[in-house]
This record gives sequence, C-alpha cells and structure tokens, in this order.
Amino acid sequence: MDASQYADLFLTESREHVSAMNQWLLQLERDGAAGSAEPISAIFRAVHTVKGMSATMGYVVVAELSHELETLLDRVRRGELPVNGELMDLLFRSADVLESAIEGAVAGRDVSTTEVLRRLRAFAEPGVNVASDRSTGSDDASPNEWTAPAPVGSGTLVRIRLAPETPLKGVRAFLIVQALRRVGDVVIVVPPVASLQAEQFGHDFALRIVTTSSEAEIERGTRGAGDVASVRVGEDDAQKMGQAPSVAEARRAPSPAPATLPSDDASAPAAPIGDLRDEIMTSRMVPVWQVFDRFPRLVRDASRSLGKRIEFTIEGKDIELDRSMLDEIGDPIVHLLRNAIDHGIEAPEERTAAGKAPAGRLKLSAARDRSAVVIRVSDDGRGIDRDRVLARAKVSGLVDSTKAALNDEELLRLIARPGFSTAERITDLSGRGVGIDAVYTRVRALGGAVDIRSQPGQGTTATLRLPLTLAIVRALLARAANEVYAIPLTHVSETVELQAAALRTLQGSEVIVLRADVLPVLRLRDLVGLERRDCAAGARSDRRSRPASTDRARCPSPRW
Amino acid sequence: MSHTVLICDDAIFMRTMVGDILSQAGFEVVGEAETGLQAVEKYRQLKPDLVTMDIVMPDMGGIDAVREICKLDPAARILMCSAMGQQALVVEAIQAGAKDFVVKPFQPSRVLEAVQRVLG
Repeated sequence: MDASQYADLFLTESREHVSAMNQWLLQLERDGAAGSAEPISAIFRAVHTVKGMSATMGYVVVAELSHELETLLDRVRRGELPVNGELMDLLFRSADVLESAIEGAVAGRDVSTTEVLRRLRAFAEPGVNVASDRSTGSDDASPNEWTAPAPVGSGTLVRIRLAPETPLKGVRAFLIVQALRRVGDVVIVVPPVASLQAEQFGHDFALRIVTTSSEAEIERGTRGAGDVASVRVGEDDAQKMGQAPSVAEARRAPSPAPATLPSDDASAPAAPIGDLRDEIMTSRMVPVWQVFDRFPRLVRDASRSLGKRIEFTIEGKDIELDRSMLDEIGDPIVHLLRNAIDHGIEAPEERTAAGKAPAGRLKLSAARDRSAVVIRVSDDGRGIDRDRVLARAKVSGLVDSTKAALNDEELLRLIARPGFSTAERITDLSGRGVGIDAVYTRVRALGGAVDIRSQPGQGTTATLRLPLTLAIVRALLARAANEVYAIPLTHVSETVELQAAALRTLQGSEVIVLRADVLPVLRLRDLVGLERRDCAAGARSDRRSRPASTDRARCPSPRW
Repeated sequence: MSHTVLICDDAIFMRTMVGDILSQAGFEVVGEAETGLQAVEKYRQLKPDLVTMDIVMPDMGGIDAVREICKLDPAARILMCSAMGQQALVVEAIQAGAKDFVVKPFQPSRVLEAVQRVLG
C-alpha cells in the first residue's frame, strides 16, 4: 500500500517518541539503576512504537535499529543486562542515531547505523545469542515435504503446513491447535505445542484428534485459523510421503481479496480528505513541550562537554502555540540556551569563588499574556560583559568613543544589530557566536519582540514575546485592479504618500527620491502579474493604503 | 449494516492506518483508545463488533485489556496487533481471549483476512 501519505504523521509521532525517550533517559541517568524499572519500560514502549511504525512505512533502517534497541531494552528490563554508564552512553547515542535515521528515512536519505548496531549487539553479547538458533530450525527443508513425524496414538492424524510467509508462525500454529480443540480432543501434537510456540519447527506439524466431526469439518476448522497452506486429514499413505504435493492437496490460493479490499486506486479519492487533515494538523495549536522536551538533553550534553553543572528547569510546558510558530521558535531558543550555557553560566570553581552555588540555574519558561505567549530563558550566570560590548561598539564606530556605559536598551540594540554578534564570533567573548541578531531577526519576522536584561554577576534573562498564532497577521491592505492584497506589517518598514509629480524615470525604471535615497518604484499590479488595464482607476487606488488588522492573511476580507 | 470497530493503539499513526484500512473496507470505526484502560472503558460504552488491540500500551497493556473486555463480554471479538518477536505475548493474548492476530508491518489484505476470520 502507499504509505507515503502517512509520512508526516510518522515523522511527528516518531519525533515525540524519541523526545520521550530522551526525557526518560535523563531520568534514568539521574535516578540510577535503583529506579530504572519505569524509565526502561517507557523507553521500551517508545522504541517499540517507532519500530512498528517504521516497519509499516518500509523504513528498514529505522526498523532494524529500533528492533535491536528493543531487544536490548527487553533484556535490561528483565534484569539480564546491567544499567550502568556504558548502557547510558549507548542509549543516548542510540536515541541520537535513531532520530537522524527517522529524519533521514522520511527525507529519503540513508543514515548509517552500522556503528550503533554493532555496539548494541556487542552490549547484548554476553548472554544468549537469540539470532543464532534460527539456523537449527528445519527452514532448509523443502516446504513441499511433510517433515513432522506422524505421532503414534488414537484419533485421526492431521497434517498441517503453514504458508511459507506466515508471520509469527509459532502463534499461528498455536491458534490452529486451539481451533482444532473446538472441533475435538487434540491428544498429541508433534512437535509439542511448546516447541511450536517457540517456532522450533519448519513449516509443518502434525497432530491427532479424537472427534465425531467429519474429515471435511476438521479441514475447515484448520483452515479457518488462517495462514494454512495445506491440510491432510487421515493416515499417511506410504507412497505419498516425501512426494511433491498432489494436486488434491490444494494449496491455498493467495489471499482471496474481499470486494472492498482497498487497492492503490482506492487511495486516490481519499486524497482530498488527507489534504484536509493535513490542513487541520498544520494549523492546530500545539503545546510547547513538543519542542521544549528536547532541550533537557541538549542542556545536559552541552554542559557536560563544557564541564559545567547546570540545573535546568522548564515551566509552562502545556502552553500552546501555533504549530508553525513553534517550528520556527525552536532555533532561537536553542541559541539562547547555548548562550547561557557557553557564556552565561560559569564553571563550578568560578561560581564557588563568586559565592554562588556550584551548579548554575537555567530556566526556560512559557506563559500566556493576553494574546501573546511569553517565552523566557534566564540564567544566574555572569551576565553579558557590557564593557566588552561597549569596546567593540566603539571600535565599530557604533557608539560615541566617549561613552562610559551602556544601559539595557543600548546593550540590546547593539547585540541585536545584524552583523554585530557575527563579528563577535571571532573573539572569545562569544566562542560559538552569540547569534542574538539571528534570534532578533527570526522573532521579529514572526511578529514578536525580544528583550534582554542582564545584570553583571547575576545573570541574563532573554524574553521573547510572540503572537499566539501566525494565522492572525496584522497587515497592510492594498488594492490593485479591484483585488485586495494584504502585506504583513512585519514586512512594512514605512508608508509614504506619493505625489505623481515625485516620480522620476531612471534608466527606464520608475524611481522616487526619498530623503537622500533613490528608491525603485514597483507597481503592485505588475508585481502580482495583473494586466495593466483600468489604469486610471488603478493608479489612484494603488497609492491609497492604510494599515489594518485582518483575520488570516490568506483570505483577506475585501471589505474596508 | 456495517460492522463497528474500536481501534486500540497508543500510536496515532497506527490508529490512523488501521482505521483507514478498515473504513475503506466498509467498517465503521466507532472509537479509538490509546491505553488499555481506555480500551476497556470504550468497549463498555460502544459494544463494538470488533476490537483491534495493540499489545504494548501505557496504563494497562493490551493483554490485560483483553482479559478485562472478555470478562465484560465473553463473546468479544478481539484482533491483536503485534510486532515481530512478540510470539509469547500474542499466545498470552489468545489465551486471554483474543481471536486472532496480525503482525506489523500491516498489509491491508492480511488485516482484512484476519478480521474476516475473527468476525466469521
């Protein structure tokens, strides 16, 4: 079946499971082996679900990795393998690789999992090798031979062969035996039921049943349990043994398709509904934890690699934001968290020397404030070094060279300046780069605002104020040839009333002189590709515009 | 009249896929459950003709849910949805009262065959 229509759903849900896995791993790491039962089961469940979904999607790399991971976790769960540092490292690593394998699978990229698979198998090695006993089965035997010895005893002999591709054939065999128990008294089964369940048989097995039912009823009962390739009821005829199956042995025809079986064609009429669902999903409000939940892991890794101790807390995880907004806001938050970890929070010794607790505090919070969501990243680190920012600003000629200090607004304006923090990258002030300008630009594009407050020695708080949803955009409405267009206000820097006389022509293009700058003039009608008829009326209304607020920029109301 | 189905799986993905397979085949999906507890509760409310039941779910797994549902209704028709490698659990589920099973990855034809067997 065509699984591609489920790819988005798969991706969303798999990400949530990987995220859950990371959460539980952190808890497992914190609580250690003593409290491992709950996290291990939860991780097992997450991995198990990913396995099922990926196998269904045909993402073999993901399925294989999650299968190995699941096998390992199952053994940990049963106490056969220890919960130790090595396991933790391996599980964290596996979570990362699993995540990239998932992203890769959906994007159609191959992600190598060889290394982590090898480590997973090596960790599980000391115990029994589950995979190796497969070869002891009689899979090599031709599926056309009856291989099970005929059990001796009273009752009617029934030989059953399963279809070669039967999934979980042990369970299927068990189901068949169960079904026959409703037909009569099953007195003996070869191989025994326990071996059948353990899949220790080839494709066929035999049993004896004491019953008053006819042979045909026995056969019907057997086939009714599913996946039966052939059944033979009655004593073996010595001549037939070992022969190719007779025609009478009626191999089961490949799945008789019910009239309503969905074919590939059937997915076509379903597509509009799928589109509708996608539409609803993309515009729905989602809780911020969908993005926030990956941060504890990030903070852990970053602080470890820097030798810092950080107590990270998250508040307001259930606050909801427009999904598209949430997708956009992840990176800026990562920037802010990384800043706090890299530059804000000091090393334990430095903190102790400054009279602070050795572990730094880092908090990420979300809160509703009227029609906005306020996201705040705060740390109790050393604060932004204003002197260095000031010095740099003086060098770049951004502030007067006699300026003695920066207030909060000036500081923010400087570090939010495009290129300012980029320039900082080459200094040790910011190491990997502050990226505040990137945060600022992104948040502004979303119609939000950024505020940063920093106290020397006491920490930094960055506040992002975001509109609840992107579905409501303040827009400038403009009419061209009787069509109304909405231009998001975030992209409007200024509106100017133009007199026709102010238009000049420069190298064949219309321009105006605004203050000291020569600006090209583009007519809305041309931009959106409308025909240039109705010129006189159009020219006037072109220039008339006023800011307005409209529900949904996608379908602006034409009435104003 | 079409048969009614209750789909129990903790993954929306799986519920959607199974739901699509069954509704395209003319079944009426009357409910979904994400946990074993929900499955039992919804069974009680909806009395569906068929239940598809995942094995691994939070808050009461699928096998316990089968047990509880069969206590409520010994004639309940439950189809287990299992992954490869869960034979022991599927056997347990069948002993608990499930009627048949399908193995992920699901093929629509296999799911529908199993459903026919369960309902037949």
